[in-house]
Parts: sequence; structure tokens; C-alpha cells
Amino acid sequence: METGIRVLLLTAALALLPGCATVRNWFHGKHAAQSTDTQAGSPSGTAGSAGPEDETAPRVIEPQVERRQIKVPRIKSSNVELGAFYGALSIEDFGTNADYGITAAYHITEDFFFQGEAGRSRGGRTSFETLSGNLQLLTEAERRFTYYDLSLGYNFLPGEAFLGRGVAMTSAFYLLGGFGATDFAGDTKFTVNFGGGYRVVPTDWLALHVTVQDHVFQTSLLGVTKLTNNLEARMGATVFF
Amino acid sequence: MARSTTTTRSPPRHPCEQGKDLTRRAQRPARAALLVIAALLAVLAPAMSAAREYLQLFVAEPYLELHTGPGRGYPVFHAVPRDESVDVLFRRTDWFKVRTERGVEGWASQADMLKTVMADGSPFKFELGDQAGFSSHRYELGVFAGEYGGANLISAYWSVSLNPQMAVEAAAGQFLGRFSNGESGDLGFAHVISADTRWSPLLLLGVGIVHTEPKATLTTPENRTEQTAYVGGGIRYYLTRRFFMRAEYKAHYIFTKRNQNEEADEWKLGFAFFF
Repeated sequence: METGIRVLLLTAALALLPGCATVRNWFHGKHAAQSTDTQAGSPSGTAGSAGPEDETAPRVIEPQVERRQIKVPRIKSSNVELGAFYGALSIEDFGTNADYGITAAYHITEDFFFQGEAGRSRGGRTSFETLSGNLQLLTEAERRFTYYDLSLGYNFLPGEAFLGRGVAMTSAFYLLGGFGATDFAGDTKFTVNFGGGYRVVPTDWLALHVTVQDHVFQTSLLGVTKLTNNLEARMGATVFF
Repeated sequence: MARSTTTTRSPPRHPCEQGKDLTRRAQRPARAALLVIAALLAVLAPAMSAAREYLQLFVAEPYLELHTGPGRGYPVFHAVPRDESVDVLFRRTDWFKVRTERGVEGWASQADMLKTVMADGSPFKFELGDQAGFSSHRYELGVFAGEYGGANLISAYWSVSLNPQMAVEAAAGQFLGRFSNGESGDLGFAHVISADTRWSPLLLLGVGIVHTEPKATLTTPENRTEQTAYVGGGIRYYLTRRFFMRAEYKAHYIFTKRNQNEEADEWKLGFAFFF
């Protein structure tokens, strides 16, 4: 069955690829190509009509105007947000520890944005380890908790935050949801993350964030397979590019 | 700071006036506190002080409304009358930050900006995030969740369109399964069959690399990196604005150093946007 699908797709691709080769307008050169076509076509048309006119009315003044090339300044787009955060991550069964990381976001519309983030924290000792004295469930390297995720964000309740009489900053709450991976205890797990935050934008290029998120993944580290909730609260600063 | 490029209609702001502005701002203690934070990030910040030339546009409607923020709910606090100009400072999503001749800065919506004209009277045109953009655009970026050879897959892709039908795509993924984890990277062509319709099918063809780390309980525990080739198909569906959904299937052929080559199926579904 699968081989059937492969053969079908390969046949379709083979049938269509020669068609692609005949496409001459690479890199959106469509307009450029069309304009050269029309330019090439025009002399024969205009020469016929302009020719006799030139003979009857000879030009008195030869215009010596040099056409000025006007360069229209490009409008800068400022949709990318890069930054760093620092906060606390509660790793289920392994205590709460500091976590830090970096984020990158792209604002697609005033409502939606994509966000990627990577962070790192450290798992502490479980209560079992503390009670049993010297027993270690994990090595020091395995206690390192590293994660990344790709999320879709939705801005809601946009507004303005006021600082005294003179300063107004735009602000918004946002919801985040996505998926990624977590590397902890010698294994990498598929992780779902969701949460929300508050963003305040004091200047055009700077944003300050407070974010709370849950990172959920399945693990059987302590004998039973279970979903673990790892709550994270953090503050961050980002710069718009 | 900045100057307009096009015509003589907008007088530059007087330097003294700008100076006064700055001192007034610096006196505000709250703003000063923020400036300290700002200074810490200044290394990262874009070259803000560098002299930039801004596009000057003229209001052709009775007035142009300026909002206090880049969103539909922010109140209008200023109206620029007809024939006055604004400098376009930058664009964020569908909003333009502009500065009037009198130095008032505010946000104008995309719909209102479409009604302004350039210095020579020609209408101001710019790229809109609509279905026409979906049919023909330069870049795509998207994320997927799915399955790769039976394992969970997280994947992202970046595409550069050569023309509306043909694009070069790079994808990177991480798969996490019961028997092995690993990463994969693909580079190939995508052929869009009907680019100007809401549903448009795709054909995919390319090569890649896959790095597999089998879990220790298996008989062949050594990590391996192998070359792959894939053929596949997919479909994309335009949702709204700059968004679309994309689902795809790739049949991977993995060229191993062992006796037999392997095959792996990749199914995934995700969101993407174009720009």
C-alpha cells in the first residue's frame, strides 16, 4: 500500500517537474519580464505614428533635462522580538529552581504571534533521595533540565498602562500554546506547553514580560508512567527588530 | 535625527524644539528609570540613533486618524488634516507608526494608509497580508506536529518562493519515540499546483539527513547519521490574513550502511504564515 503511494507521488512529481523547468520567471521576475516585453514591442508601434509628425514639426528646443532617480525610502518592519528571561521552574518531584533562557517571536497580526523559546533549569533532590540519605536517582548531568518549544500566541485585552501622569505604555495580556521537547533525566520527551503572560511596551523597541507557563510531558522515571506538570513563572525583556 | 527625503512641503523640526522635548522627557523620573533598563539592552537594540530617511506621505482624505497604539481598540488622539504630510517611521503588523509635520507621533491603520499619496500624487502602495499575498509571496515560516516513523515529531520549516508555483524549502525536526529519538533535516523543492485557490495541493521532492539515537535497550544502540531522500505531497489551506494551515506526507528513503535501506513515513499538520 505504502509503496503504491510512493509510486503515485513520484510519478506525479516526475510529470510536473519538466513543467517547472519551463517557468522562466524565477524570483518573481514576472513584472520585469512583462515590462521588457512591452518595451520591445512598442518601438514598431510608436515609430509609425511619431515618424511623420517629426518631419512636419521640427523640434525647436532639445530638452536637456536629466531624469532624477527618486529613491523611495524603505519602510522598516518591526515585527521580530528577541529577548531573554529569568524566573523559577517547579519540576515535578524535583523541587523549584531558577530557570533562564531566550525567546524569539514574530508578530503576524495585531492579535497573533509565533514564539520560539529555549530555557534551562536544574532539578533538585526528590524527597525520596533526601530521606534515604546518600542515594542518588540521577547524576549531576542528568539533573540539567533543558527545553525548547514553539508556540502560537494570542494577544487579548490590549490596553495602555499608565505610570503617573505623563507616561502611557501600550500593553496586552497574551495566551500561549505550543509543543516542544524537554531533555531531563537522560531522556528527551515530547512536551506540550501552555500559559499566558502580560507584556508592556514602554518604548517602540522594548517590551517587558511576565509569563506563567506549564510544561507537560510524560515520564516513567519514578516507576509509574505519569504526566508531569512543570510550572514556570518568569520575567523577561525583549527588543523589537 | 531624521529627515524627510521627498519634497519641500514638510519643514524640518527646529533643533531647539527637539532639545526641549528631550529635557522634558528626561525630567520624568519614571521614564528615566526605564531608560536605565533600556541602556542595558542598548547593545542588542537596533541602530536607533543612526540617521534614517523616512518615507513622506500626504493625506489625501479629509483627515488621517492617529491612534495611541498599534491595535483596533486604541483611541484616536490626533487627526492629520488633508494635504499635510507624515513621515512613516516603521511598520508593525498592519499598523504604521508615523510622525506629523508638528512632531506628533501615532499609529495609523493599514486601511487608512492605503488612502495616502506619495509626494508626486501617486497612491501609496504596499504589500498587504491577504489572499493575494497567499497566492504569491516570498517567504513562509511554519511549525508542525506529527509523526515520523512512529515517533512524535516536532518540526519547523522555512520556504523561499522562486515564483508562485515553486519554492525551495528547508525543514528541521526532532522526533521522540519509544525506541529512539533523533533529529532530521530536509532540503528540497515544493511545487504548488493551484497557488491562487484557497486549497492548494503541493508536491514535495528533496534530500535530507537523519540522526537517530536508539534507546539503550535495543540491540543496536549506536547512534547513526544517515542520508535520506524524500518524495511527498501535501495541501495548504488559507485561513485569514497571513495565516494558513498545512498538512503533508513525506515518504523518506534512508540510505543506511547496513544491508538494507530503510523507509520512514512522516505525517504532519501545522500552522504557517507568509511574509
